[in-house]
Amino acid sequence: MSIREIDQHQIIEGLKSQNADTIDEFVHQFSRPLFGVILNYTKNPSDAEEILQDTLLKIIRKIETFREESDIWPWIKRIAVNNSIMWLRKYRAAREREIQLDDSLPQFTTDGQYINPPFGWSVDPEEVMLNRELGGELYDAIQALPFEYRVPLVLRDIEGYSIKQISSLLGLKEPTTKTRIHRARLFVREKLAHYFEDAI
Amino acid sequence: MKGDITCKDCVDLLMDYIERSLDARTYDRLDEHLQSCPPCIHFLKSYRKCSELSGQLRDQRVQIPLELENRLKGFLKEEVRKPPQPGK
Repeated sequence: MSIREIDQHQIIEGLKSQNADTIDEFVHQFSRPLFGVILNYTKNPSDAEEILQDTLLKIIRKIETFREESDIWPWIKRIAVNNSIMWLRKYRAAREREIQLDDSLPQFTTDGQYINPPFGWSVDPEEVMLNRELGGELYDAIQALPFEYRVPLVLRDIEGYSIKQISSLLGLKEPTTKTRIHRARLFVREKLAHYFEDAI
Repeated sequence: MKGDITCKDCVDLLMDYIERSLDARTYDRLDEHLQSCPPCIHFLKSYRKCSELSGQLRDQRVQIPLELENRLKGFLKEEVRKPPQPGK
């Protein structure tokens, strides 16, 4: 989002002094984009609402630590991402059903060749824009991933974090992070394959 | 089998190939395999495209109900009047 929509300095100063009008403006401007970020980590709207509420409060409580010479959105977004991961670890991860990622791996012969060679996507992938239907399928595929695969994938492919940053954030070794992202991508690819196959 | 890299090796190494984190010799061997193996080219393209499409979810537009926005405003104004609790 563009911070030009609001006066960053005014918002920061208003939040520091806990001005009621500024809090209203802050919620109005930031709750929607933050809700979008949080929904990448949890599909459940009531969980997302709780995380959003907690995130907004944390931002206000931490506003004194923000270095004003930088853009506030990446700082705010980082708090939302960290909060989503922490919250999901605590409340949701253990209750999520496990799915079998092995089903989405391509099958090979003993000499390493495809049993069912992948088809060429007839719709030029370079020209495929993220329409509503495909976006929904993609989102559902990502949300179907177990927590430990979903979060590294979201951080890498949606949020654009580096492998090093993700490993540090999640307390994983870099090879583990890479393996999880790779497995998650293979799963998502398999889930979307029919979308392109159907378009033939 | 194309060269000494198999299709399975190719799929296993795709992420490192895209991220350019393979050593030069493995990268070249994989590149060579890809040039002569259409199924692996298809796989690489679809794998890479899914990753790129995911990036477009970053800017997804969501709506939140006015009722939720008002609830959040009320909650925050109430909370800032309280002293922060440990761990919050």
